[in-house]
Amino acid sequence: MRLQGVRRFHLARDVEEALSLLSAYDGRGALLAGGVDLLRVPGREVEGLIDITRMGLAFVDGAGGRLRVGATTTLTEVLESPDTAHYAGGVLAEVLRAVAVPPLRNMATLGGAVVSAHPWADLPTALVALGAEARWVGDTEGRGSVEELYQGEFRGLFRKAVLTEIRFPPWEGAFAYEKVGRSATDIALLNACCGLGMDDGTIAWARVAVGARPERGERLPWAEEALVGQKAGPALWAEVGRLVESKVEVGDDRRAGGTWRRHTAGVLVARALARAAEKAAG
Amino acid sequence: MRVAFELNGTPQYLDVDPGEPLVALLRRLGMKSVKEGCDTGDCGACTVLLDGRAVRSCLMVAPQVQGRKVTTVEALGTVDDPHPLQRAFLDAGAVQCGFCTPGMVLVAYELLGRNDDPTPDEVREAIAGNLCRCTGYVKIVDAVLLAARWKREGRWR
Ligand SMILES: Cc1cc2nc3c(=O)[nH]c(=O)nc-3n(C[C@H](O)[C@H](O)[C@H](O)COP(=O)(O)OP(=O)(O)OC[C@H]3O[C@@H](n4cnc5c(N)ncnc54)[C@H](O)[C@@H]3O)c2cc1C
Ligand code: FES
Ligand code: FES
Repeated sequence: MRLQGVRRFHLARDVEEALSLLSAYDGRGALLAGGVDLLRVPGREVEGLIDITRMGLAFVDGAGGRLRVGATTTLTEVLESPDTAHYAGGVLAEVLRAVAVPPLRNMATLGGAVVSAHPWADLPTALVALGAEARWVGDTEGRGSVEELYQGEFRGLFRKAVLTEIRFPPWEGAFAYEKVGRSATDIALLNACCGLGMDDGTIAWARVAVGARPERGERLPWAEEALVGQKAGPALWAEVGRLVESKVEVGDDRRAGGTWRRHTAGVLVARALARAAEKAAG
Repeated sequence: MRVAFELNGTPQYLDVDPGEPLVALLRRLGMKSVKEGCDTGDCGACTVLLDGRAVRSCLMVAPQVQGRKVTTVEALGTVDDPHPLQRAFLDAGAVQCGFCTPGMVLVAYELLGRNDDPTPDEVREAIAGNLCRCTGYVKIVDAVLLAARWKREGRWR
């Protein structure tokens, strides 16, 4: 643990208490969920830790083909829920199995993953592809798509608001997730999440997102447009893979080069599309 | 501040510093099986069970265990009377320097609690977050599979 200067610890009973503590600390307090990120940050000074894991925000509810997940549900709880297995071709289970290792998934929460939103992380790419919606309570209640949140000042927002729930819309079809890291438990060098709906062998809708480019996961609307109305099959996946390779915005960082990322993005999208189509058909 | 929790079946009610890492508290209480390796959640040497689930005690502060049950390897067995899982680690030759062993034993214990007939790959996945610099992991996987067999045969506690 690297966090310094902690003087007080609170187990918040409900969202109102968490918010009033947060405002009383005036920037010197922090919401603590799994702590996997917060307690690891070296050099950060936090005077008051506000534990939000005992406020009744741990639940998974898959009624009606959609999925509602409480913000403090651990990644293991989400992964083990039968509702997760049934949602959108079981894609969230695929993504969660790719996140770190079991003991960290026993601690880390879905809300913590949404807020920490590391550009290399697995969940942001999937949340954006799936059109997930975040709900929060701050001065007022708010909601918005995770995709839009990531385009704005979401870090400032969640210093003053509690993320309470993540909602995933129903999809008639299936999604698949692909990740490349240096080892089975490494963070991603690149990742992709794609979804398809089919109507008699023709693509009715498509979602394509690529992350760890090294920027955070974003949708590629032009790749989605290139899919809709086309005949599903290996030729189409290869063609869209080439399109992604030619147009995707990638960069270099110390973990991988842009040239490699560009080529790999095309490969991962083609693979994810093929698997999503297989699931959607089956 | 005061915190109340259960450590290896014994209720505790004691003073902690609100920012005290859980690994430091447990070692202060004599649980020297809990090691601090990396302090960043990467190595697994500090693993303990929290309400039966393996977690990293280096990424927790002591007050987070308020009202919960913490289990360390000290609860499993002793040198004279090792738990079958510990016996399996010895018999399979899965212990060299021993620094990783308590963490390995606890993630294996959690796995076998849910699944007493794991495949070698399921064992590998369960121990994937625990680094061992000595054994090369093969003997550790063997040990967990041996323990699983003993558990299915009723040689367990
Ligand atoms: C060793 C290691 C390996 C990892 N590997 C991976 C990986 O392979 N893939 C991957 O995607 N991620 C990985 N991660 C990252 C990890 O999954 C996320 O950081 C984790 O999900 C954070 O969740 P948490 O509940 O622990 O958040 P915390 O650490 O508790 O919080 C993180 C931040 O979010 C804020 N916050 C938390 N919950 C809320 C809420 N409900 N409302 C408002 N603000 C909130 C906190 O104040 C804090 O600023 C890894 C992390 C570690 C330590
Ligand atoms: S000391 Fe906690 S994981 Fe390494
Ligand atoms: S036996 Fe030495 S680190 Fe595993």
